Amino acid sequence: MKRLLLVLLAALAACRADDRRDTVVLWHSYGGDERAALEQIIADFNAGDSGIRIEPVAVAYDGFADKITSAIPNGNGPDLFIFAHDRLGDWRAAGLIEPIEYYVDDALADRFRFQALALLARDGSLYGMPMAEKWTALYYNTDLVAVPPRTTDELRAIAAELDRRSPGTFALAYQNMELYGHAPWLHAFGGSALDGAGEPDLDTPAAIAALEYTRALARDGLVPREAKPTKVATLFNEGKAAMAISGPWFRQDATQVPWALAPLPVVSETGRPLQPYYGAEGVIMSARARDKDRAFEVMRALTGDDAAELRALRAHQLVPNLAVWRLPAVAGDPTLAVFARQLEQTVPMPGNAAMRQVWAPYERVLQSVISQGANPGDTLSAAEREVKSYLEGAE
Amino acid sequence: MSAPRGWAGSYALAAVLTFVVAAGSFVGYRNDAFRARETGRARAAAAMVARGLPAPPEAVAADLVLPAEPSARYPFLRRRQLASGRALGGAGAPFTDKLLYDAAGRAEAGGAYAAMIPGSELVLAAQPIPAHPQPGAAAGRAESSGGVAVAVTRPPQGPEGFPFLVVFGLLAIGALVAAAGALVGGRARPLGLALGACGLAVPATLWRGPVPGVLILAIAGAVAWAEHRGHLARAGAELRRQRAAYTFLGPAALAMLILVAVPFVIGLVLGFYDHHHGEWTYVGLDNFAEILSGGGRSLDEPLNFWFTLGVTVLWTAVNLVLHVTLGVTLALLLRQKWLRGRTAFRMLLILPWAIPNYITGLIWHGMFDEQHGAIDSLLSLFGIDQVHWFSSWATSFTANVVTNTWLGFPFMMVVALGALESIPRELDEAAEVDGASAWQRFRHVTLPHLRPALAPAVVLGAIWTFNMFNVIYLVSDGRPNGSTDILVTEAYRWAFERGERYGLASAYAVLIFLVLLLWTVFGTRVLRRRE
Repeated sequence: MKRLLLVLLAALAACRADDRRDTVVLWHSYGGDERAALEQIIADFNAGDSGIRIEPVAVAYDGFADKITSAIPNGNGPDLFIFAHDRLGDWRAAGLIEPIEYYVDDALADRFRFQALALLARDGSLYGMPMAEKWTALYYNTDLVAVPPRTTDELRAIAAELDRRSPGTFALAYQNMELYGHAPWLHAFGGSALDGAGEPDLDTPAAIAALEYTRALARDGLVPREAKPTKVATLFNEGKAAMAISGPWFRQDATQVPWALAPLPVVSETGRPLQPYYGAEGVIMSARARDKDRAFEVMRALTGDDAAELRALRAHQLVPNLAVWRLPAVAGDPTLAVFARQLEQTVPMPGNAAMRQVWAPYERVLQSVISQGANPGDTLSAAEREVKSYLEGAE
Repeated sequence: MSAPRGWAGSYALAAVLTFVVAAGSFVGYRNDAFRARETGRARAAAAMVARGLPAPPEAVAADLVLPAEPSARYPFLRRRQLASGRALGGAGAPFTDKLLYDAAGRAEAGGAYAAMIPGSELVLAAQPIPAHPQPGAAAGRAESSGGVAVAVTRPPQGPEGFPFLVVFGLLAIGALVAAAGALVGGRARPLGLALGACGLAVPATLWRGPVPGVLILAIAGAVAWAEHRGHLARAGAELRRQRAAYTFLGPAALAMLILVAVPFVIGLVLGFYDHHHGEWTYVGLDNFAEILSGGGRSLDEPLNFWFTLGVTVLWTAVNLVLHVTLGVTLALLLRQKWLRGRTAFRMLLILPWAIPNYITGLIWHGMFDEQHGAIDSLLSLFGIDQVHWFSSWATSFTANVVTNTWLGFPFMMVVALGALESIPRELDEAAEVDGASAWQRFRHVTLPHLRPALAPAVVLGAIWTFNMFNVIYLVSDGRPNGSTDILVTEAYRWAFERGERYGLASAYAVLIFLVLLLWTVFGTRVLRRRE
């Protein structure tokens, strides 16, 4: 009995210790180089004389958002966490995250790319400090492709040549079973997932044209029929796909073949370039953060130019810090230079409640149309009805 | 009647229980009273600020916060300043600036409020000030442009202390009453116990209303009744007699309570609520009605409950038939004396069961891949090119069934092997001597002996298969179009992939539970009747 009491007391003491206000708990789902860079930044910060200690907690990406949603209201969530911008709307509505514009003046905001800040803002408040930006470009295997295609006609020419030289090799691989991978095509045909008012608008002529086009790519054997991210990486690494559309994170995966980066091509039929989504990832403060002033000091440090430089160079993150892009080491990096060019042809990824309901149904549209040959118009209008029913159900 | 000494123990039990209720109601009362008193004080301070009067001394900060002005370049960066002209925030700003800033925003959006500030000893009140209608002011901006009066106060004294004297005095008097009743004996004994134990009902009612009062009366009555009937004495004796058993059972019982009973009840209750943006609304049976009516979807749409139920039942039935057939066949083979290396085969065949099923699921998912998959490579040897396994319902369902059969037959095989060992060989040999054919021997000798062992395995296997989340989620992932989803993956999708409808997902879980309950009750009965 005495021993049990001692154990209980020790557990209580541990809880109390965790309540120390000079410790800022940071949840993240970084792995690999990103994690190494983040831990380096945190180690440097903790060794400094700020009087604040950052305690990083790595949380698996799957279920990260759900853990945030359930942990913060119960008071056992983090003080800060790193996540993409697209869940902010829900978390804000649920009162889980802290607006931080109180801490941010124009001079601080001027250090970041406007789009990144804008994606982290909702209804006149700012909810995160931008850590990284994400968009995709064209990786090409330099052994298989000498000159990257500027148009889809050139892409087809490369495919025809590959067919002669090494049959069974796909010209291109991209995540064609998810809206994130399909979006560049959708945009190139003048479509978008949401209308101007932010409402789902799936069944449009442009969306149908984009689906028919990408289905033809799969049917003609230019791209694999069902490609998930791991498969894209495998095909590219094995030389079975000459090109791949992916983001900066792909550098860690594409290690087996020599590659270079190019901007996404123009769709010859429409004359418009493929435009990937532009997404932002921020460090976000919990509404239940124990010491908000200190938590913001940590946000400021993590998104500072020095930290961003380390993340850009060591973890190949695209960072929204404008000063970092002017550094010789970054400006001279050919890969980052291509990403910078591609940035001009991106579309900000919507992050509202309607968009969150679009992803899964759109995934099924892509499956039905590309793998099973269903009618694009019927599938899209069914998906639109489904999305709207979710939105009504959630009201 | 129980032993005359027992009253003290019974009274102690009642005293502890009523003390817990009374203490709980006092803490509730104390917190409410403290909150009411201190938020009232903060409200008064905010009201004084609103009227332009000096704030009271307990105010840590009290000021009029002017409406937010967005920065010229960044519409989402809004600054605020005080009526005195000082801007909120910036280097060296007092820590209360953030409180004032946040309170002004909240009051502008939701009206006046007062609250304790969590994690500190401070209390805050905010009160929006209606703007004076100004000539020439733009219409529509007039309501809240007068700013917000905010006061942050520090309570001059803490909440009241626990009235130990009252509580323990009442308990001591109660002990005397109970003792007196026990001395008199007869009917006075339970009466004294009941009267003595209900003393705390009075202060509890004063603190938190009739509910805790009635609860204490009920506890007192129940303990007195149980003592009168001798239940308590018997229970005490039983506890003492089987002390070791209960000590060992205790942790497991507690774990079951926390890990099984509590989540079960919470899940059940959630089924009656709707979840939106972290807010829960009671909706009665709406979730169930939506599910059972198919949510406006026709019967052949995968999101219709009845479609999914049909798929789930088919999935369970097909799997069970395959598991049992394959398991029993292999068990019969492994029993043959002529088979060499039986132990090695046995080990190999149990292997699929020993591997975690999500790993098996992922492996099979890869094998069904149309470009790299081992299965398509094998089929191409026979001239069958590129089966798109997950493009049509039948092939996708087949892929799931193949994976789950791989996972499921070893269990049935092990059960059947055990049962076969217990069949005396003489029976088989006698039947053979009598001229029974191999089939007749199996049908009339082996099978009747297998049944008692297989029946519970089939019931259990059905429950496992019915809820086999991993295989469906990892192999077909519901493709195409969610048509190979079973009920449990459907519930998961409602919770985590379609707008966080936790209430609807809970209702699904309740329905799954009901289906399985029916199966366990009636399925076992049917299987037993056939024995």
